[in-house]
Amino acid sequence: MVNNLNTMSANSTGQIVVKNLVKRYHTRPVLNKLSINVDAGALCILVGDNGVGKTTLLRILAGLVRPDSGEISIGKSGSSRESQHRRMIGYLGHQSMLYQDLNAIENLTHYARLYHLPEAEMIVSESIRSVGLEESQYQMVRTYSRGMQQRLSVARSLLHDPEVLLLDEPYTGLDKQGAQFLDKRLQSLHQQAKTIFLAAHRPHRLLSFASHVAWLKDGLIVEYSSVADILGKSDLAVYLQESA
Amino acid sequence: MTKKPKLLRFLDILCLILVPGALVLILFFTPTERVMGSVQKVFYFHVSAAWAGMLSFLLAAVAGGIYLSTRKQKWDWLSLSAIEVGLVFGLIAILSGMIWAQPIWNTWWVWDPRLTTTAIMELIYLAYFILRSSLNTPESRARLGAVYAIVSAATVPLTFFSIRLFRTIHPVVIAAGGSGGSAFNMTPRMLLAFFVSLFVFTLMLIDLVWHRSQLAELQAINQGEGG
Amino acid sequence: MNPIRAYLSAVWNILRKDLQVEWRGRQGVPVMLVFALLVVFLFNFALQLSPDLQAGLSAGLLWVSLAFASTLGLNRSVSLEQENKAMDGMLMAPVDRSAIYFGKVLSNFSFTFLVGLVLLPVFSLFYQQNMFKLMLVLVMVLGLGAYTSLGTLLAALSIQTRTRDVLLPVLLYPLALPILIAAVEASRSILAGQPVADYQSWMTFLLACNILFTAAGLMFFETILEE
Repeated sequence: MVNNLNTMSANSTGQIVVKNLVKRYHTRPVLNKLSINVDAGALCILVGDNGVGKTTLLRILAGLVRPDSGEISIGKSGSSRESQHRRMIGYLGHQSMLYQDLNAIENLTHYARLYHLPEAEMIVSESIRSVGLEESQYQMVRTYSRGMQQRLSVARSLLHDPEVLLLDEPYTGLDKQGAQFLDKRLQSLHQQAKTIFLAAHRPHRLLSFASHVAWLKDGLIVEYSSVADILGKSDLAVYLQESA
Repeated sequence: MTKKPKLLRFLDILCLILVPGALVLILFFTPTERVMGSVQKVFYFHVSAAWAGMLSFLLAAVAGGIYLSTRKQKWDWLSLSAIEVGLVFGLIAILSGMIWAQPIWNTWWVWDPRLTTTAIMELIYLAYFILRSSLNTPESRARLGAVYAIVSAATVPLTFFSIRLFRTIHPVVIAAGGSGGSAFNMTPRMLLAFFVSLFVFTLMLIDLVWHRSQLAELQAINQGEGG
Repeated sequence: MNPIRAYLSAVWNILRKDLQVEWRGRQGVPVMLVFALLVVFLFNFALQLSPDLQAGLSAGLLWVSLAFASTLGLNRSVSLEQENKAMDGMLMAPVDRSAIYFGKVLSNFSFTFLVGLVLLPVFSLFYQQNMFKLMLVLVMVLGLGAYTSLGTLLAALSIQTRTRDVLLPVLLYPLALPILIAAVEASRSILAGQPVADYQSWMTFLLACNILFTAAGLMFFETILEE
């Protein structure tokens, strides 16, 4: 694993605090004064129907979309420089963020350099090995299957060992083997006390090892509960049943 | 929707009086120019229209800048309106210039620096509308429109300057002064009519931009309700 | 790492990545080059140009073909970042966003400059005239520098639209006109063997364009890319 290069202490610092977040598209509010507090070290599943704004929320947290209003803080309070702040976040979106005409090594090396990672070469090969792509690491990404691209995307988002992971439907395109690999990877990241905020419209495979569930509906987090308490929240339990 | 502001109504009435007033002034009060004859009278509205056009493009850039720092929609409406009105004034300037050029230069079109600059300016701001119409959200229209309005306004003086420089290096085809100004000396009466026209066109510009801006607001409200 | 070194290394990393992509895919420079040559041939037939072309015409032809060809490279350069949203990856990296702009400008500049360098011997051959002049290369650096710094900004803008890359020429050509006028005029003087004093003002003008458009890029690049 690559995390030995990071000197951060074991107790994670990646708390996500969102207050009164508003984002409109075409004057229609997608997020309407949304507030949520994801504790450091939590593995929180973000559930909700398609088009409800899960992606928008994650992209705002990743700093890719500008909210209309509201407050966001990720990590320790006390503002460090914005670019240092970005270093804490790893984001996996719907699209791979990879260059089709470069191979796996070149793609990851590019990102490793942008993050000024020391010993980029070692980190990159380590990272490619960890997602099981070493055999095709010299092939152009153009030739990869959907699943392979998704694995490489996972590697890319974890490359700089971020404290906070924002994952948007990370299981998309993965075959059974790939999904199992991701399960394991998420569990180990959770054990390392990384904060993981993960959007999934079919959350079932995650419930066995996630710590929290947040339910996004009508522009708000209508329910935020630890996995252990789900049965106490009948609405959420029903919703999860239905989305199985 | 707010009611029509009192000041705007006042401006409307003022324009209704002053525009014909300026026309009367130009037609009956100013002397007929000795060499060019009555066609010279185009000059008053021609220069005023060009002035109003330039001013509205500048206004659009300023409003765009304010939009980018405040993100208030009304500044985008103002910027958009100023460009639309500016385009019309620019067109008036070109057409009236052509009407003037036909008898004087014996051609409808010359590649004169000012004429060319104005024509390119029109093209630049026509592209603004193409840009806006190919964007999906009001927010991106406002944001990218503002950037484009500012960059455009910055290049207009460059274009003018480069064409000027271009023509001065080359043999001068057209005798001094593209239009008005240095080509003839203005009498006090001419000067008076000239400044009145400038003033009236500036008022008209403010009035039209204001109206257009209100219309943009109505459109936005209407679209917001329609979903 | 000190901030300046970190900044420069970010710019260099982005440039290096673009060079790498170009080396692998070869979808920029060859396409631009072939297109530039096609423009030369088209003009040759359309305008019935003779081999003993005047300095003015070959300078104009050189810049028109470069200007047309560059738009292909500029579009390719931004669509590359949009294809899998690789731009998002760069936006999230701890680098200043203006460094992304600079990196892209430098890569666009390198590619178009390379095309320009290849065109010089071709023009020398076609139009029986020595185009290898140090000053002409310098004009190319200044002209293409200004052109690509404006072009990168506008390409980032046009890629956000529904019509995507189709819009770029409409936005770029009118705004880039002063750059082209200055570049053509300076090249013309150089090819006609005139002393530096004759075209010095054009060089200064191009330098000013470089500064202005780079400043615009620095100011607005982030605004253009945000959602």
